[in-house]
Amino acid sequence: MAQRAITINVNGTEHPVQVDAPDRLIDVLRDQLNLKSVKEGCSTGDCGICAVLVDGKLVNSCLMLAAQCDGRRVTTLEGLLEDQTMKRLQGSFIANNAAQCGFCTPAMLMASWDLARHSAEPSSEEIKVAISGILCRCTGYYQIIDSIREGCEKGGR
Amino acid sequence: MSSLQLYSPTDLNDALRFLEHDGRNAAVIASGTDLLPRMKRRQISPSILVDISSFTEDLRYIHQSDGTIRLGALTTVTDLLESPMFYGRLSIIREAATLFGAPQVRNVATVGGNICSAASSEDLIPVFMALDAKLKLASARGERTVPLRDFVVGKRQTAMEPSEILTEVSFSPPGGHSWTAYEKLGRRNMLILAMVNEALSLTLEDDLQTIHSARLALNRVSGKIPALAVRTGNFLEGKRATDQTIAQAQKVLASELSLTSDFRGSGEYRTEVAQVYLRRLVERCTRQIGGPS
Repeated sequence: MAQRAITINVNGTEHPVQVDAPDRLIDVLRDQLNLKSVKEGCSTGDCGICAVLVDGKLVNSCLMLAAQCDGRRVTTLEGLLEDQTMKRLQGSFIANNAAQCGFCTPAMLMASWDLARHSAEPSSEEIKVAISGILCRCTGYYQIIDSIREGCEKGGR
Repeated sequence: MSSLQLYSPTDLNDALRFLEHDGRNAAVIASGTDLLPRMKRRQISPSILVDISSFTEDLRYIHQSDGTIRLGALTTVTDLLESPMFYGRLSIIREAATLFGAPQVRNVATVGGNICSAASSEDLIPVFMALDAKLKLASARGERTVPLRDFVVGKRQTAMEPSEILTEVSFSPPGGHSWTAYEKLGRRNMLILAMVNEALSLTLEDDLQTIHSARLALNRVSGKIPALAVRTGNFLEGKRATDQTIAQAQKVLASELSLTSDFRGSGEYRTEVAQVYLRRLVERCTRQIGGPS
């Protein structure tokens, strides 16, 4: 089967990669680019653990074919490690014990970061909507919601 | 999916030509939020995917002209939420978009994809049916327009030929003494496939008492097929929007629905909820229009 050559900008760097037709974005991110913050849970769009930003929009990377990302801009948690908003969110997640097993934490942080960009003082309802597509199997949602509220507030925008 | 191939056409005409000649066992993919999980579960196994997701310049738009609102098939659910168009009489579209999936899905899921999926869980189908939407279907041989009410012919079955692509959804926004409303029930608030999904477009006469027209659509009317509840709509027309009329209409609706049970809920429960929603929808619409409270 013919592979095709595509170029994806991941975390600010252009990556030429070879993909097969069924390869999904998550396959390229994890297996070719070694970005392991992107987790695979259900593979059917139900759990949201694979969330990344594509052209600035939060999407499930298990539901997007890699070939459809040719020429697009992808951001994973690895690309935001030096970002001040992300550092703040990480700090409040740690302070509030918002990571239990930690499996959903990267996706929760990506959704939180996406929310923080749009809303300086999100209400609990807005926070719940923002993370509604991400399943925490430890069911520790209240710590997560508190962390996001604090992380956004400290932005002081 | 190991033998799967992907065709990335250069433009819509290229995609249509491809489907015309090599369309057997092909599936059109936009965002893939419905298609890919179904392939994963082996509910369908196309041998080639025709990727139209890059045609956003041609197929992603929300326009209003000559009294018609036109949505390009690649318009995303987030686009609907961010548009200034869907307030007031058209807030039904915002309501449905708000309850649609979750942010990651809304950001990519398309209006055209939701309609073409044609399952009883597609949130937008009852909404656009209540708005009496029309669909533009393109093929290499030309274009045709089909009313949405005639489009869904069975569970996940549409009137679309394998060589066709849905390019546009259009409808006339309700005017005058009209309003629209939407209700959805699932087992939780977010990221849920609807158990009951019900949309109403209601127009009153100048007296603000008598129902001029009522278009009621549900995710399931008979079996698992989204459709208009035509008998219930007809029953309401010409009657005064009173408590008694609604109570009678609820009975008509119950007799019109033939709902089966599945793991999401029993047919009896769905019917009960559909009746409750009918009352809410009529009351919400009449209140907004300024009719009987």
